[in-house]
Amino acid sequence: MNARPRGTTGGSPFARLLEMLRPDLVRFAYWLARDRAVAEDVVQETLIRAWKSREELKDQAAARPWLFTIVRREHARLFERKRLPTVDVDQVEALGDPALASDGDAGLEDLRRAIMQLPDEYREPLVMQVLGGLTTTEIGTELGLTQAAVLTRLFRARNRLRVIYGLAAAEDADE
Amino acid sequence: MNNDCRHVRVAIGGDPHALPPEVTAHIATCAACRQFHEETLSLDGRLRAALELPLTKFRRPAPPARRFAMAASVALAILAGAGVWLFRPQPALAEEVVEHVRHEGGSWGMQEVLPAARIAEVLAKAGVAFDTSMPVVYASACPFHGRRVPHLVVQTADGPMTVMLLAHEKVSERQKFSEDGYQGMLLPAGEGSIAVLARGGEVPDAVAANLVSGVRW
Repeated sequence: MNARPRGTTGGSPFARLLEMLRPDLVRFAYWLARDRAVAEDVVQETLIRAWKSREELKDQAAARPWLFTIVRREHARLFERKRLPTVDVDQVEALGDPALASDGDAGLEDLRRAIMQLPDEYREPLVMQVLGGLTTTEIGTELGLTQAAVLTRLFRARNRLRVIYGLAAAEDADE
Repeated sequence: MNNDCRHVRVAIGGDPHALPPEVTAHIATCAACRQFHEETLSLDGRLRAALELPLTKFRRPAPPARRFAMAASVALAILAGAGVWLFRPQPALAEEVVEHVRHEGGSWGMQEVLPAARIAEVLAKAGVAFDTSMPVVYASACPFHGRRVPHLVVQTADGPMTVMLLAHEKVSERQKFSEDGYQGMLLPAGEGSIAVLARGGEVPDAVAANLVSGVRW
């Protein structure tokens, strides 16, 4: 679906909020789907759903986590509905996806590829926290995990990335 | 490393910006865990930059059916771009930041590290959370564009730098500027931005990353 959702443009504060947050929603959808076209579709569906449900958002300060959870659910729904093939992470790498490129900052590009290679169970909460600004409690609610389990996953995600960043990995308390 | 340190590091690795009181108390007395925390904050700055993918490289070529629509869009974009260039809000923002800092010139000379309570008071007035390992020697909740914004001076290895946490000023990408003897950067940070100013050299990337990773609106 390429058309812009009607009603999300214009002058209302909610429309402006959606426009402002849209870039990060596309990024989040990409980190979930690892495919640019799918990410765009997921965000279009998200904006339509958000517009229809805008009365549910009582506090605009909570818009960001609210929209991120809609993106996540739309992503899951799209895969369920269309039975899309899962993306092979090695294939994404081999394609040299320009979405991962960084002008003149090879370290940043390495970090992006390392994030892309994290298992879903680590990558998803990490992106929700760092890009989406969700608290560990909100992530736990969304993923159906205890806060302790979320903290452990986030710790393990960062621990894997520490090595790419040139830092020593920490001992894992549970391994 | 003992069990306390292991559990503290899981907490830090889980959320380096929201540490429970017992973890904060531990890192106050454990140099190794304090270093781990600082490293994790630094990593988070890079992580955030890594996750903010360049959307300009994101779009696939449009199918032929959309090309007429795109041509119109391009024409509009050129007109809009000309308008944006003429009015250039972000350079204007940089100029206003420099102007503000020039009026508080005494802030650069501060040497004494402020107590956490004083910094917390300033941040609370502006409704901003900010966590940095860099010593803060000046903090004021200053009026800026009709709101209170934290105006801080931090000590870095490259000298003092002024930091303004602009919760209500969105910038689309990192921008360097040089104005009236100041070298500065406007940094996108979530729904707001951070202005950083240095004198006598550019703002190092590591400092910028540290600042961005530390702010919560």
